[in-house]
Amino acid sequence: MLFCRGFSRICTTPRKSLFGFVLSRRADPSLFLLSNQYVYSTIKVRSGRETLSWSFPSLLGLGRQIHQSSSLIEEQLDPFSLVSDELSLVANRLRAMVIAEVPKLASAAEYFFRLGVEGKRFRPTVLLLMATALNVHIPEPVGGGVGDTVATELRTRQQSIAEITEMIHVASLLHDDVLDDADTRRGIGSLNAVMGNKLAVLAGDFLLSRACVALAALKNTEVVSLVATVVENLVMGETMQMTTSSEQRCSMDYYIQKTYYKTASLISNSCKAIALLAGRTAEVAMLAFEYGKNLGLAFQLIDDVLDFTGTSASLGKGSLSDIQQGIVTAPILFAMEEFPQLHAIVYQGFDNPENIEIALEYLGKSHGIQRTRELAMKHANLAAAAIDSLPESNDENVIRSRRALVDLTQRVITRNK
Amino acid sequence: MERVDPFSLVANELSLIATRLRSMVAAEVPNLASAAEYFFKIGAEGKRFRPTVLLLMATALDVHIPELSPPGIGDTLPTDLRTRQQRIAEITEMIHVASLLHDDVLDDADTRRGVGSLNAVMGNKLAVLAGDFLLSRACLTLASLKNTEVVTLIATVIENLVTGETMQLTTASNKRFSMEYYMQKTYNKTASLISNSCKSVALLAGHTAEIAMLAFEYGKNLGLAFQLIDDVLDFTGTSASLGKGSLSDIRHGIITAPILFAMEEYPQLRAVVDKGFDNPANVDIALEYLGKSRGIERTKELAMKHANLAAAAIDSLPQSDDEDVIKSRQALIDLTQRVITRNK
Repeated sequence: MLFCRGFSRICTTPRKSLFGFVLSRRADPSLFLLSNQYVYSTIKVRSGRETLSWSFPSLLGLGRQIHQSSSLIEEQLDPFSLVSDELSLVANRLRAMVIAEVPKLASAAEYFFRLGVEGKRFRPTVLLLMATALNVHIPEPVGGGVGDTVATELRTRQQSIAEITEMIHVASLLHDDVLDDADTRRGIGSLNAVMGNKLAVLAGDFLLSRACVALAALKNTEVVSLVATVVENLVMGETMQMTTSSEQRCSMDYYIQKTYYKTASLISNSCKAIALLAGRTAEVAMLAFEYGKNLGLAFQLIDDVLDFTGTSASLGKGSLSDIQQGIVTAPILFAMEEFPQLHAIVYQGFDNPENIEIALEYLGKSHGIQRTRELAMKHANLAAAAIDSLPESNDENVIRSRRALVDLTQRVITRNK
Repeated sequence: MERVDPFSLVANELSLIATRLRSMVAAEVPNLASAAEYFFKIGAEGKRFRPTVLLLMATALDVHIPELSPPGIGDTLPTDLRTRQQRIAEITEMIHVASLLHDDVLDDADTRRGVGSLNAVMGNKLAVLAGDFLLSRACLTLASLKNTEVVTLIATVIENLVTGETMQLTTASNKRFSMEYYMQKTYNKTASLISNSCKSVALLAGHTAEIAMLAFEYGKNLGLAFQLIDDVLDFTGTSASLGKGSLSDIRHGIITAPILFAMEEYPQLRAVVDKGFDNPANVDIALEYLGKSRGIERTKELAMKHANLAAAAIDSLPQSDDEDVIKSRQALIDLTQRVITRNK
């Protein structure tokens, strides 16, 4: 699917399946506390583009059990639900920001807004949770005092990071995925192909320019640097992917670097930007960065696995789109370490479907999938550790958001689509 | 007052800037590096018009060129004012080239500046990515100036460039028959970059809003004058007569000032324009009307009006007895004349 890449997968649900998200693995009912209320768990179900939510108390342990020690308090909260109101706000502002007076551009905006922004919200979720986790309150909508104005303003600025991040992400999708290599079709190109390219370039530029303006409005040059670095990294990552030599394609280091550029840089640097806007120390900003970076890497590694396995644990049931495009990912790279003969196949490339079969065979015999999962878990744990290293807080919202961020690190590696 | 060649006044500084630009667009990814460097290579740099204007403006606003030290690759925080202003010139060039790279993809251009366009040579995608890369480098340099007002100005430029290009692609709308729309589009595509970077040069020097506005007005009017003459030359080329220019605007269906003026005199021309210019016969018909009309002449008059406005802005600057300042101001005024008397 043309626009699906990276984080899009966590929110794109095949029509057949009911559950969009995996519940936390902490399913032991006795761990769930209830203070004065039932604990709700929200399962989001996607049907097409609709999201239906149910809240139900019964599954996870009923009864009014109140634990003595507050340190045992663990509420099971869906990370996404913690910020869903704010997300709607962000989504609305995004829609307003990408409205263009020129009709063609407006319809392009609509198009990529639906596909590229509406369905995901993973990145903005992480950023909004991070904002709270770093001790910035969600302001009361009414009756706030003067102090709240400052907090509100900060929160709005942090929401702006979420908006900027989404615009840049979609701009990069447009410039990467929609732009085809017109050289190969020169002389045979259809008008549609050409117009498609032009609109893709222009729409991407449009989003980038809007992001720049929003960025400038924050009046924080350090944040400008971070976001500029993201754009640079996205470009470098895509170029790395387009132009690998055979040798580079077989290198795990190259692969991880490329993955950082293409997937993790955006979220790591925007997490850091959230921290900087809040005036946090360089140390805290670095922790935010590390969370984002490791979350992003973990995500992509599982993405690589799922491309082979799909929703089942067995091989070859995934879409296999990476290997079909000649993109060599972590599982294959690990398999090549165990079976050097796989090098020859990779060098030949995968235009020939037989080579794909052979590669899958080797992959199956190897520990490739397993080692990739292990690496993903390592990064997920590093992400969780970054959150745990944040300065302590007694604020309930802060604690909940941090828990949600940690929860996300688990979801990222246990998801199966 | 001797007439100094404006370009020679700043030639040394320009070399410095060119060297720094080349190092700034070096990328660790090989293909990206060669793509990004494409238009900064020696021989492909173009006229360096924009950096020249900015450096002259810096001196005209009373900021002197210090002893030139060897270029430092990897400067992080330039504290010296002149260096910071030079950065504006670098940023401006990077943004300009980025927009060229993208525009060429949009126009399916084969050549640019006498060499093969990047997209023709390396493919559309790499050209777009290289443009994005230059844009991000420009933003990084911008951030290093730590001046949020300047960041805002340059962000506005980027937005204007996109808006201008978008306006140009709106071929179906009636707006393309409007002189107002055309001037707005021209401001967005051509003048905004130089007007806002002139203003940035003034702001970095800590000048008043009034002076910053004069710098802005100079850049804006210079840019508009430049583009209007560009439009004329597209019809006339190096000769004064019609149809000897490349006619690339009209062949791409881009309606420029001469045709717009001609349409005011000959409403029937509008029907021809409506049909479009895929058919070369229509181009000939349009040229006929243009020849009969005062379209070319009126465009030149409008260009002169803007050139004079630009010169007037310089004349309105606070007086100075400094020789360098006076020379630079003279050079800036000189440029306004060169822009409208050039024939290529």
